[in-house]
Amino acid sequence: MTQAQTTVASEGGKVVVKRTIPATVDELFDAWLDPESLAQWMRPGTDALSTAMVDARVGGAFEVLMHYPDGPRRHHGEYRVIERNRKLVFTWISDATHHAETLVTVDFHPALSSTEIVLTHERMPDHDAGLNHNRGWTAALQLLENLLAR
Amino acid sequence: MDEYQATHLDALFGAMSDATRRAILARLAQSDARVTDLASAFTISLNSTSKHIRVLERAGLVTRNVQGREHMLSLNAGPMAEAAGWLEFYRQFWTDRLAALEDFVVKKRHTDKHGSKQ
Repeated sequence: MTQAQTTVASEGGKVVVKRTIPATVDELFDAWLDPESLAQWMRPGTDALSTAMVDARVGGAFEVLMHYPDGPRRHHGEYRVIERNRKLVFTWISDATHHAETLVTVDFHPALSSTEIVLTHERMPDHDAGLNHNRGWTAALQLLENLLAR
Repeated sequence: MDEYQATHLDALFGAMSDATRRAILARLAQSDARVTDLASAFTISLNSTSKHIRVLERAGLVTRNVQGREHMLSLNAGPMAEAAGWLEFYRQFWTDRLAALEDFVVKKRHTDKHGSKQ
């Protein structure tokens, strides 16, 4: 890892990962929305492969299948905000979220010879249309945060 | 990801979906309590309190310690920490992915400059 990297875990029930990458904001933004590029880096390691489908418009869906030796794992969601070279917001559902909808926000901050990416992954803000199952999830994490903050 | 056991989490989320049960957990976070203490604190019947507590016990959130006729209840926050494990999982996941993104764009730039395709 050649670049300074800041990681803030679990703060306020969300994950924030920052990384400054020596590339232009164009190169980085395209890498998220071009399915061939996405499949190249959104994979679990150097050996396992991924396949990606991207419908790069607000309301459009994406799917990343990570091919592990014991079978594929599916991550999918829907784009909520696409502001070229500035911001990308999408929902994210997978085994690891217990199939609950979560939200990923990627902010791009271009600098002189590099671009900082700030990625925030959080559970969905409460919404009335949510399933009981999602409400239980939110409540559980909220209570846990309260307990941990004591 | 396989460490997430769906049925276990279902019991947890089911237990957490009720406001009275969440209030019971919040009360137990302060100190252990008897079933009768909880019933009077929440002005619900002893019978109803016992039902809620059984749900919480099944989810592994509450443990019961029987001493003679006294049933003392304690909070067990472990299962909730397990539910919060997704945060820890994704902290590592996104750290690795952004490192891979850097590798990808740096290599791609090199290929585009020096590659024989163009």
